[in-house]
Amino acid sequence: MKRRFGGGLHELRSAGTGPFGSAQGRLRPVTTRVLLIALIFFPALAHAYAGPGAGFAVLSSFWAIFVAFLYSFYALMTWPFRQLFRFIRRRNAYGKATFERAVILGFDGMDPELADRFMNEGRLPNLVKLRDKGTFSKLRTTFPPISPVAWSTFMTGVNPGKHNIYDFLARDASNYLPFLSSAEIKGPKRHIKIGKYSIPFGKTEIKGMRKGTPFWHWLGKAGIFSFVIRVPVTFPPEKFQGVLLSGMCVPDLKGSQGTFCLCTTRASSDKFREGGVRVPIERRNGVCRSYIPGPDSPLAEKAGTELRVNFEIRPEPGAKSARFVVGSEKFALKVGEYSEWIPAEFKAGLGFTAHGICRFYLKELSPEVEVYVTPVNIDPGHPDLPISHPVTYSIYLAKLFGPYATLGLAEDTWALNEHVLDDDAFLAQAYGNHEDRERMLFDALDKTKQGLCTCVFDTTDRVQHMFWRYLEEDHPAARDVPHSQHPPVIQDLYERMDRLIGRVMEKIDDDTLLMVISDHGFKSFARCMNLNAWLHQNGYLALKDGKTESGDWFEDVDWSRTRAYTMGLNGLYLNIKGREKQGIVDAAEADALKGELQQKLNGLVDPASGTVGITGVFIADNVYRGPYTENSPDLIVGYGAGYRASWDSVMGKVTGRVFEDNIKAWSGDHCIDPRLVPGVLFSSHKFIAEKPAIVDVAPTILKLFGLALPAHFDGKPWNLAAKAH
Amino acid sequence: MALAGQAAAIAAFQFLLLTSPLAIVVVLSLVVGLLMVVLFGYTSDQKAIRVAKDQLKAHLLAVRLYRDQIPVVMGSYGKILRGTGRYLKLAFKPLLYVIIPITLLMVQIDRYLGQTAIPVNAPFLLTVQLNGGDGVNGVTLDLPSEIAMTAPPVHIPAADEIVWRLVGSKDGKYEVGIAGAGQSVAKSVCVGSDLVRISTVRLRGHFWTRMFSSAEAALPEVSPIESIAINYPDRNIEIAGYGMNWIWLFFILSMVAGFIFKELLGIQI
Repeated sequence: MKRRFGGGLHELRSAGTGPFGSAQGRLRPVTTRVLLIALIFFPALAHAYAGPGAGFAVLSSFWAIFVAFLYSFYALMTWPFRQLFRFIRRRNAYGKATFERAVILGFDGMDPELADRFMNEGRLPNLVKLRDKGTFSKLRTTFPPISPVAWSTFMTGVNPGKHNIYDFLARDASNYLPFLSSAEIKGPKRHIKIGKYSIPFGKTEIKGMRKGTPFWHWLGKAGIFSFVIRVPVTFPPEKFQGVLLSGMCVPDLKGSQGTFCLCTTRASSDKFREGGVRVPIERRNGVCRSYIPGPDSPLAEKAGTELRVNFEIRPEPGAKSARFVVGSEKFALKVGEYSEWIPAEFKAGLGFTAHGICRFYLKELSPEVEVYVTPVNIDPGHPDLPISHPVTYSIYLAKLFGPYATLGLAEDTWALNEHVLDDDAFLAQAYGNHEDRERMLFDALDKTKQGLCTCVFDTTDRVQHMFWRYLEEDHPAARDVPHSQHPPVIQDLYERMDRLIGRVMEKIDDDTLLMVISDHGFKSFARCMNLNAWLHQNGYLALKDGKTESGDWFEDVDWSRTRAYTMGLNGLYLNIKGREKQGIVDAAEADALKGELQQKLNGLVDPASGTVGITGVFIADNVYRGPYTENSPDLIVGYGAGYRASWDSVMGKVTGRVFEDNIKAWSGDHCIDPRLVPGVLFSSHKFIAEKPAIVDVAPTILKLFGLALPAHFDGKPWNLAAKAH
Repeated sequence: MALAGQAAAIAAFQFLLLTSPLAIVVVLSLVVGLLMVVLFGYTSDQKAIRVAKDQLKAHLLAVRLYRDQIPVVMGSYGKILRGTGRYLKLAFKPLLYVIIPITLLMVQIDRYLGQTAIPVNAPFLLTVQLNGGDGVNGVTLDLPSEIAMTAPPVHIPAADEIVWRLVGSKDGKYEVGIAGAGQSVAKSVCVGSDLVRISTVRLRGHFWTRMFSSAEAALPEVSPIESIAINYPDRNIEIAGYGMNWIWLFFILSMVAGFIFKELLGIQI
């Protein structure tokens, strides 16, 4: 039964005086409507109301804006104080500077004779502008003219006796074995064994072997900011005021200087001589499976327990393309095509993961399947080893431009040498890396209105190494191709670099100094010389009884009867008593032996051609000064144009023949007599300098920024012809 | 027998646990977190979203790296704003797919979890909104025996409203009749403590408003009554001594679930 109540006369001016508040019923629809409109049209907090996807979108974007606002606010508010602090500390950093900004482009291996020739042919209009308006000169290089040596001198302003880099490799006198001269990486010393795991405790220790202070550190101390991109021998990166991305000598994830991988269904027991491994592909039910070999597991008790990333290849009908599955990444490739950089995560267990990136190149799908995988580079967006200063700089670049090559020797010359890559595939890889480098340079230029911006491009070096064979008529490595059909690869390279200079020139004004330099020039590498074989044949190096040759790293050398040996590209060592483990040469006899070797080797003639194979032998004591001369070779061998140490000799192998043809794609070189391969110096403003040398660059830059020169510098600053202070 | 009794008690407790508002929100959040992430993954341009997010991070890092260079900092800030716009634009299409079903779902869930029924013997207000005219004094209420009026109605002619203070004496779902100008309509009233579907308002017309806030059929078009509302108490879900609306709990838990599932499934959001 329902009861009926009539309406009364009580009136209220406003509603909402009851125990539950206001007229909710009316507000709720309005709220809901507003919410819906907000959901659809406004990317605001209301999105969060509609689930996690929307919530993330809104939170992420607001978080980004919020953090950016905080950073910006902080930077703005503290900027005057920081400037004041700097002013008090150093007065005005640019007060005595001749230029507001200096831009140094390092074109590794750009040759002055080729540059001159191509300029005269009208191929290099921008270099011509620099030559006519500013400076074009040869730039004396270092003893020996090798990139890590020369770039170390470039940055420190001192000779190798003061920076301790004499070659890519140095030798350990206690066992005659080589080690990387630029950096030493040691894993954690302590391990705790739990079950099948051996868990490392502590940090990986990375020790830079290059001594001396790069000139950008001096600039930083004076308050001048620097961008330093891919200058060789800057690994491990050091702290200074600026940003730096390490270059040549950064290892791959395996810790090597670049180990490519050829995955193949072809059965072969052959090993690559240089820089690569062969991995089988298993083919079953139309699916091919293989793996990328990675670093050793940090948790394994036994050394050499390799981590792997498995991948699948699913060929498409027609065998012209295939789909790849690598971890969570899926992509398709046509035959003859590279992938983007693909993440490769090597999981060791217990949360230990090594983060790498690599690119895949589909070589063949029928009848066999072959895939080339680049060396696994350290992932710049997630670096397991420091490859930049600050660490966030490599991450910044990776986020801005995507993943990029971080390996020191990023262009895979070994793969081309071993015919795993052909010319086109190598060039595609090299110029891909080059374009990444260009993007980094222009980003730096946009951000450097004052200070230093220096960037080294390796492409010039690698392409000349690998394609010099097409530049000359009768190179042993290109005799099967008529000269008229040789592609103009090196001409194209110089033109490309010239265009880059043109674009850089558009970004600079008269208050910017532009310098284009190279660490050395280039010459043909047509003939190899095994200096260890010569030492053996001339009684300076002895083999174990019954041996006529030795394997790598002096495997069959009888040290008790050996007085001299060579490893690396230009260094020759005496087997000195008390220094080498099994030394037999008395220190008192060393000078005489050096003189004897110098006399015999200097002017050594190649009997096959009648040309001089060695044009100069330099006694280290005469060319190096400084605290690290004890680590130098005893003699520096300067090969003649067209000659270089053979690959076997570099690796401490003794063969039967002293001279032989070089038939590898690696057909040009510079590790010869340094007087034959000076670098180049171009500049936007005219310098007055007699015989400028790469060692002069650091003092010149410091002087142009108005800084005092450190007393230990070996280089002398150049004078500027026209620009007034 | 005792064992069976214990088992029944445990089953009843578990059932109670599973049907408690907290349990419903937790399960719902996990399921929605998973579904929405998967849906987002399938309907979005994952590569473009990854690039857009990376660019945002790069500009954030630039602000940090070049903090001494004010033009670079300000330029990066501008790029962050532009990048945020680009990112939201990319997120918009998958959000459209996500928003419609989840909004409808949430509206339905809100009818169960948004408010509690009127407690027994607790007073509540029933508000009738008229569509103008002078019918305020002519509206009468027809109450079931379990619901009583505790005070005379309050007439608010300026707002065309009449408010009754009522009280329910017994658990249940009842119909309150409202008559005026020769028309009679009803409004449901839920009394008790059970988890029931609640309609806070009954409306005339207003299709979209009804869809989002009413769980009852529309009032007749010819009725002089615009709306009938009951001020049900808001439901608070207790977590560690803090009470909150289920929406906030859902928001937090679904985000957490989404974060977990997006990582597990490798989906960029």
